[in-house]
Amino acid sequence: MFKITFKLSGGGDRTVLAAPSQNLLDVARSAGVSIDAPCGGSGNCGKCRVKLLEGELDCEKSRHIDREEYESGWRLACVSRVVGDAIIEIPAEATAYQDSLSSDFTARKRDFGGIIEMQKKLSEAGIGFLRAFKTIIVELDEPTLEDTMPDNERLSRYLYDKYKPDYVGIPFYVLKKLPEVLRENNFRIKCLIEHSRSRLTIFEVLPPDAEVFPCGIAIDIGTTSVSAVLVDLERGKMLSGVSAANQQIRYGADVIHRIVESTRPGGREALQRAVVQETINPIIRHMCKEAKVPPSAVCRLSVASNTTMNHLFAGVYADPIRTEPYVPAFFETRPIPAVMVGVEANNNARIIITPNIGSYVGGDITAGVLVTQMWDSPEMTLFVDLGTNGELVFGNSDFMMACACSAGPAFEGGEIICGMRAANGAIDEVKIDGETMEPTIKVIGDEGQKPMGICGSGLIDAISELYSCGIINSRGQFVREGRRIRRDKDGAARFILVDREETATGRDIFLTEVDIDNFIRAKAAIFSAIRTMLSSLSMDVSVIDRVIVAGGIGSGINIENAIKIGMLPNIPIEKYSYIGNSSLAGSYMSLMSREAYDQTLEIARGMTYLELSVVPGYMEEFVAACFIPHTDESLFPTSGE
Amino acid sequence: MAFVQKPQVYKSAINTVELGAGDRKIALGGATVYPLYSFDAPIENAPKIGVEISDLGLEGAPKAMLDYYGDCKTIAEVAKKAAAMPGADFVCLRFDGAEPGEGERTVEDCVKIAKEVAAAIDIPLVIAGCKNSQKDAQIFEKVAEALTGRNVLFLSAKEENHKTVGASVGLAYSQKVGAESSVDINLAKQLNVLLTQLGVAKENIIMNLGSAAAGYGFEYVASTIERVKLAALAQGDAMLQMPVVTPVASETWSVKEALISEDDMPEWGNQEQRGIQMEIVTAAACLAAGSDAVILKHPASVATISAMVAALM
Repeated sequence: MFKITFKLSGGGDRTVLAAPSQNLLDVARSAGVSIDAPCGGSGNCGKCRVKLLEGELDCEKSRHIDREEYESGWRLACVSRVVGDAIIEIPAEATAYQDSLSSDFTARKRDFGGIIEMQKKLSEAGIGFLRAFKTIIVELDEPTLEDTMPDNERLSRYLYDKYKPDYVGIPFYVLKKLPEVLRENNFRIKCLIEHSRSRLTIFEVLPPDAEVFPCGIAIDIGTTSVSAVLVDLERGKMLSGVSAANQQIRYGADVIHRIVESTRPGGREALQRAVVQETINPIIRHMCKEAKVPPSAVCRLSVASNTTMNHLFAGVYADPIRTEPYVPAFFETRPIPAVMVGVEANNNARIIITPNIGSYVGGDITAGVLVTQMWDSPEMTLFVDLGTNGELVFGNSDFMMACACSAGPAFEGGEIICGMRAANGAIDEVKIDGETMEPTIKVIGDEGQKPMGICGSGLIDAISELYSCGIINSRGQFVREGRRIRRDKDGAARFILVDREETATGRDIFLTEVDIDNFIRAKAAIFSAIRTMLSSLSMDVSVIDRVIVAGGIGSGINIENAIKIGMLPNIPIEKYSYIGNSSLAGSYMSLMSREAYDQTLEIARGMTYLELSVVPGYMEEFVAACFIPHTDESLFPTSGE
Repeated sequence: MAFVQKPQVYKSAINTVELGAGDRKIALGGATVYPLYSFDAPIENAPKIGVEISDLGLEGAPKAMLDYYGDCKTIAEVAKKAAAMPGADFVCLRFDGAEPGEGERTVEDCVKIAKEVAAAIDIPLVIAGCKNSQKDAQIFEKVAEALTGRNVLFLSAKEENHKTVGASVGLAYSQKVGAESSVDINLAKQLNVLLTQLGVAKENIIMNLGSAAAGYGFEYVASTIERVKLAALAQGDAMLQMPVVTPVASETWSVKEALISEDDMPEWGNQEQRGIQMEIVTAAACLAAGSDAVILKHPASVATISAMVAALM
């Protein structure tokens, strides 16, 4: 065995023992060091760059590391094998994709307002938001030799008398602590209860002065990012919100890689651990700490996610999703006890799973559709969720049709050398001067935040600007020369967005032709899916009354630029709106309202699912869209003006 | 009731593109009707036939072909004989020997050979490259320079080398640019857009939509050519109105029907006849689908196809 020490960029060392010829990425995982490997460790993406400080590694040459870098110690972790003791530095950008969670608070606060607004609109549409969770003070008669009723009966009788339910539930773990809590507090205690219709359940018993109230958490589990909000269920107030990278990323960037990993021995447990113990539980701890409540006060949770993610979250065998005839274990399921998946919350807490529509259109879309309210409007609405899987829903109150297309992780910064999630340090807006080719950028974060990479919304801007300035042609190839455009010895060109002197990483932030090509494929997947879905209904883009764009790709999206590059249909810009993370918003509604959850069931059941891969002509639409703006320029009459 | 013919004549037309210079120059395209539909309207320029020769000479050529070329020693003699083949409208010189690897032909040698061939013939010349796009770009640039004024067609600019080929062949030396895509209408159009964005006039572009021997995925080739013609004529798509040239010989003479000897497969009959038949059926199908020119190499095929064209026009 050899000793491998990882030096983390944020400070701190981790040392583990590794077997000879063990893969360095696996060694890092075993040491709890998360290194990005969106490609699943196949040496393709070049994200897992680490620096060898001492010792030796058996390492394959990679196109991601030039000779100069190799000599100064840079290696790709996924193609490196242990051959002796070594000390390895983990630079910030090797974990940038998964970034720490604290950083996103300020960015998320703004989303809260949007969610409240949507809640208001849903109420207007007749969805009731009853507050079933309450804090109550219970004062019981102290037992005596004459009054020997046991504690649990004493409590439930009090509750029957006072609240007149048909049934009072005292879960086992409440029973276990009940005698002590009662006696320590002279039979005057605080209870967290859920009282809905005829049923009253006690979630927690506490001293009367404990500053605890029932909380709920709404979660959106994305393939790349996980977002959550903590809510005071009694007062309906949002307390905290966080977004963090889904730690499953190290098992691959897309759902297919994850499913494959989950079928290995111990894989299902590993994938579940990555999303529950390593992603969601830290988020819960973080939010609870901020709101100063214990995780045991979290009485209900709601999860919206794609079908694969909710299967892996629940620890359910997911392989059939991947193989013909693509049948998942469930679309709808009853709420899952939190203790059974290992989520840190009240022992009696249950997790609502928003229902799935198909193998590749999941509860995140059901949740999204809920908040768009397209099910309640005669307007023909196109709902586009930009993510690793792009999903589309089209329709109105009479019908709805959904389809999914594999856009790849480009919108979330994956498969782009300098790409990253929309976290602090991400470039989210870009302008380029047509004359000088000098870019102006905006970076997410506090003032003075240096850029680390570029996120989805920044990419849309950058590529649109590069095209408008004639720096790239319709195929995404560089056609102008200048200081900003550098070529390596093979002639491969890159556009330098930010010089290394001005970045947080000390490396240039740039876009290569391969990056641009990956992005063009992603945008083509979206646009061709829109066209294919509409033409399967014998319609075209002129029937669209409004387009609602969702997805956590940045601080927003410049619709004009998205149209210019042929990602979204060329219809008047007033018809567009951007609603941010609609999956999280929908998850929140399901958490807060039984009626909203019932509505998601109705949405999922009434949805027609279109499998694009079996539609003849989809591939051709895709190839036609792999061009800026499109091979059929008549679809984009205003582009290039 | 008597049959009343309703001619389908379109307002849009395939671009007319001239190749070569002087008295023997030819024109491709110009049609306003479907391929070979001369009963709908006269077709101004009948489909043309090119004869392919290789810089590697006649090595491995079938017997009847060797007989035709007789005792031709130099590439110039071969070219002259090819140009004299009954039915030949142009000669296509392919630089098979330039493919990167041991003993590859240098760009300078290619230029020398191209000049010799050009000097030996007075009908139009088409230059085809090897299978390497980078090398092709270098050869095309120098040959285009050396043959300035001969109005030569270069096969081909592909997506990966279209900038260099388009700039040198199309812009600097005003020759004709062949735009090659791989059997996909969208990719074909995209390449035409890129070339015109570069500044190459669309009248100087000829498309090679890709080809295959009959029976080897040829239905994709046929339907792609047909759909390109349909888009050009019926929808008036200016980015698909370039004439189409399809190299046939380079495909059909390398499939098993042409390569397996009669000894190995006696029930298939005479090997050379098989090769000729493959070339003829493929070429005929390409012309029916819409090719404005085909490139063949066997004298028997050239004779048959030119007779077919003459009968249909």
